[in-house]
Amino acid sequence: MNRERAISSSWRSAGQGLRESLSLVVGYAPIAFSFGVIAVQSGLTLWQAVGISLLVFAGASQFVMVAMMAAGSGGLTVLSAVLMMNLRHVFYGPALATHLVALPRRLAPWLAFGLTDEVFATAMAKGASRPLEPAWCLGLAAGAYLAWVGGTALGASVGAGWANESGYVAQALDFVLPALFLALLAQAWRRARWPVVAVATSVTLLGMVWWPGHVAMLIGMLAGATVGSRRPRARCSQEAMT
Amino acid sequence: MTWWGIVIAAGVGTFLIRYLPLLSGTRLARGEGWLSRFLGALGLAAIAALIALSLNELWGQAPHWRGGVRLALGAAAVLLVQRLTPNVGLATLVGAGIYGAAGWALAD
Repeated sequence: MNRERAISSSWRSAGQGLRESLSLVVGYAPIAFSFGVIAVQSGLTLWQAVGISLLVFAGASQFVMVAMMAAGSGGLTVLSAVLMMNLRHVFYGPALATHLVALPRRLAPWLAFGLTDEVFATAMAKGASRPLEPAWCLGLAAGAYLAWVGGTALGASVGAGWANESGYVAQALDFVLPALFLALLAQAWRRARWPVVAVATSVTLLGMVWWPGHVAMLIGMLAGATVGSRRPRARCSQEAMT
Repeated sequence: MTWWGIVIAAGVGTFLIRYLPLLSGTRLARGEGWLSRFLGALGLAAIAALIALSLNELWGQAPHWRGGVRLALGAAAVLLVQRLTPNVGLATLVGAGIYGAAGWALAD
């Protein structure tokens, strides 16, 4: 009986995560669509474009991957570039684990597969107010994954004709991801944590003067977390309450 | 290495980059030390860094006062809606809509 109740509760959490992935779906679909268009324009077939999204599921590095392959770069060079770009994800798993109520071993591979920047950011914003159910995270990642793969398929199959469109709707879609991150920041905001936000933002902006975006982001993220780690949690929570 | 070989290796490599730390992270997360506080702050720091990265890319597409005004209006709309209704999806859509509408209103 208890086991049945637990399963039913997990499905409910997964459904809730899937519903809450709507903002991610809106953000992902246009980018995945662009990826599909660019992949086909670079000479890939529909199935190759969809195959990359199905197997890799890592936004920006997929664009780099396709561009390097189209330029004739060697396999190991492409692979190194993709893995270097995704290296920042090393820190996401342990950070997510601090907010989970539990991490069942059988769910860990699925949770890890879906741990993109946007899924992580959404989970962290939610995790600031309550512990996270693993099933909720899976629902969230499933919505994002479906939007990513579906958007790629649509872009690769019908998108070539729309590629040169630059209407205001397309421009509005450009702002979806920054808007999502801003909303997530507002949701996760705690006054006592302002130095974390200030340092991460400034270091990332400054870093982009010298390094590519993904490197600057990694350094900014680590700098912000380092500042956050210097203040004991109890003190932070007390300050946040005041 | 074949084309599919590269794609599969990239997929497996990316998965392992996410999976292995998640497994060891469960143990680390239970601690109360520096590392635990670091991981606790990492989420907020990542969100802030992603905002800087994505806004900088948008600014790079139109680096003039109109672009700045659009970004400011879009950001203000997101924060206002998020404050009034704690609904991330709605705040995102309204912010994107205002950004698109501002582009139309401020066009030459």
